[in-house]
Amino acid sequence: MNGQFDYSSDDSLMRGLNPLLKLFMLIIVLAGILIYPSWRLSSILLLLVLLLFRATGTSLKLSKRRTKFIILFTILLLVFQVLLTTNGTTFGFIIPQLGDFGPFFPITDFGIERGLSISLRFLLIVLSSMLFVSVTDPTLLAHSLTRLRIPFRYSFALVIALRFLPLFDSENQVVRLAQKSRGIEPEVGGLRKIIRTVQYTFFPLLVSSLSRVETLSMSMDGRGFGYSDTRTYYRKSEWHARDSLVLFISITYLVFCVLIALGLIPQLTGII
Amino acid sequence: MLEVKDLTFSYDGLTQVLGSVDFKINRGEIVTITGPTGSGKSTLAKCLSGFIPRSIKGSFTGTIMIDEEDMSELSLAEISKKVSLVQQDPDSQICTLKVADEVAFGPENYGFELESIKNLIDSTLSEVDATHLQHRPTFAISGGEKQRVAIASMLSCQPDYLILDEPSSSLDPKGILSLRKILSKLKARNVGVVCIEHNLEAVRPISNRILTLSNGAISSWTFSEKPTIKDVREHPTHENNCLLFMKNINFSYGLRKVIQNVELAIHKGEIIALMGANGSGKTTLVSLLGGLLTPDTGEIFLEKAPIRGMSRKEITKNLSIVFQNPNHQIFERTVWREQNLTIDILGHQSSEDYQRATALLEDADLATMKERNPFSLSHGQKRRLNVSSVSVHSPHILLFDEPFIGQDFDGRNFILNILINTATNGGASLVVTHDSNFAKNHCDRVIFMENGSILLDGPPETVFKRLIEMNRAEFVSLEVK
Repeated sequence: MNGQFDYSSDDSLMRGLNPLLKLFMLIIVLAGILIYPSWRLSSILLLLVLLLFRATGTSLKLSKRRTKFIILFTILLLVFQVLLTTNGTTFGFIIPQLGDFGPFFPITDFGIERGLSISLRFLLIVLSSMLFVSVTDPTLLAHSLTRLRIPFRYSFALVIALRFLPLFDSENQVVRLAQKSRGIEPEVGGLRKIIRTVQYTFFPLLVSSLSRVETLSMSMDGRGFGYSDTRTYYRKSEWHARDSLVLFISITYLVFCVLIALGLIPQLTGII
Repeated sequence: MLEVKDLTFSYDGLTQVLGSVDFKINRGEIVTITGPTGSGKSTLAKCLSGFIPRSIKGSFTGTIMIDEEDMSELSLAEISKKVSLVQQDPDSQICTLKVADEVAFGPENYGFELESIKNLIDSTLSEVDATHLQHRPTFAISGGEKQRVAIASMLSCQPDYLILDEPSSSLDPKGILSLRKILSKLKARNVGVVCIEHNLEAVRPISNRILTLSNGAISSWTFSEKPTIKDVREHPTHENNCLLFMKNINFSYGLRKVIQNVELAIHKGEIIALMGANGSGKTTLVSLLGGLLTPDTGEIFLEKAPIRGMSRKEITKNLSIVFQNPNHQIFERTVWREQNLTIDILGHQSSEDYQRATALLEDADLATMKERNPFSLSHGQKRRLNVSSVSVHSPHILLFDEPFIGQDFDGRNFILNILINTATNGGASLVVTHDSNFAKNHCDRVIFMENGSILLDGPPETVFKRLIEMNRAEFVSLEVK
């Protein structure tokens, strides 16, 4: 299958961290830049994330289509903000004054800052999530969710979803080929035709997933799933001293973001 | 001993699926149960493994004894420790992301000690020859490997009896040989094995006994030579009558090259068997031939016109494809509407067409089910509906991917008749199959693929002779040498 949900294991520091901590870190980093949306802070964090990509040997390569989408979207975000924000010190105009015509679309320092802040945040959200996915073993994450008193029955759903997503993806493609071979072409003229098109894709997929669900539940019940409230784990993540240290740093970062956002550290607002 | 006494079962309380089934299996014995499609073999497997009546309801009577202990007093989890069921589709049974996790899943649920889980992973994986897969992600292993992992994940619960439902259906000949080895090892370890199987050739050499389940009752199986359909066609000539032709074809999924430099022509009157190991590119080749995928290089011609420029309807008029999984190619809500889907799309709604549709449904033994929802049919019936619904408009070219899997004698003959009629009327067909008997008795040509290329192409005798010389005898015959 495609490497959409790739997790490659080795013993680097980042991978060795507790998966729950990594999830927590991801949430904290993103919460921080939402609380204090400065482009400087975002670029520092972005640089950090890129360094971590490098340090963990995670490939930044995505399919062409996705890379294109991410880059295009980032630029669009930037350009829109720059064009549409009019307050702040004006540097110049995109369309200068020509006689009575113009000037339109002023470029302001505030506009550029806002544009950078939004587009950098977007990049940071995408890239840090990618990093999280590639350095976290989903099975271990699911197992450690039980620490939060989430019953295994529910946390295991995460593993099952990741297991079956690629299957549905490939199944969807086969159904489309089968439709094509019967001469069924997607039609959009009128509600009835749309419903028919949806039905031709939805029915086969629904039926095959229902039969998969039956097989899966028998296979799990047949191996004692839910046999007892406690179970053992062949692989389970542990909590080390370094996890506590990283947790401490993460919380400090969050507190720091809140303090600056509230204007309680005025000395720093100019720098970060 | 696993003992079944006077077992009856019905899903709806009206139609009896099993009526008075009696038999015994000893530990250290391999028993194969065969029978026509819809005879209740899978239902019996679910009874033996305790899913009926615990998680699947219906009216159930009779007793099943596991080593003198009445099963009715045990919970499903307790039964599973003694009797395990490996179901038909290995892909849907695997619930974790890593092979080692999958094998550990049962022991973890039963709360085994970490040390013994580790030992069980090692021992069961080595029992199914899959030690090298231990750290692999479950989605990245082949179909045959998935089945071995599914078996290992059951064995790690240390059952005394193992039930396998159609274990050979997704395997190529190499996979079948490996399955035989695994089952023989289990037998030697004093595990009782029940194989539910259509393809008797696959498990006969290792079975101690073969039973037949038909009309809800079990009897012992006796060998009887069934008459195969006489195929009296003359071998077609290849001159100037090419229906479908492909040249210089290369195709890859992402970075993975699947088809390499293939050239192939299909002529009027031919029935061709496309053989080869799983993953050798047979299914992809069929999709390319049918114009469903666009090759990276090369051109495909349908009766001398490039398929690339044709409309989908024009292609469908001339060429029909049946895919592997019946569920992926049924679109309508009743059998009758499904049967007529293609003629409706092509606008051939004459009374002759509908008559042919009815006649085909009768041949497929589906005429009484016209108003049924096709998804409620059995696997074998769905498969026959697939074949009949793509044949209604009499296309010249048929491309069938493993049509015989799960078919009993009658279903097989129905499909064979369609292939032969198409060939006699100047059409041609290409059938992806592992069935060497079909190739010997009915095909004019065998094409053997390996790693995305055509390795051999010629009359069945010649190709099979070469295969034996090339150390690939299992594709020719599964008989023990």
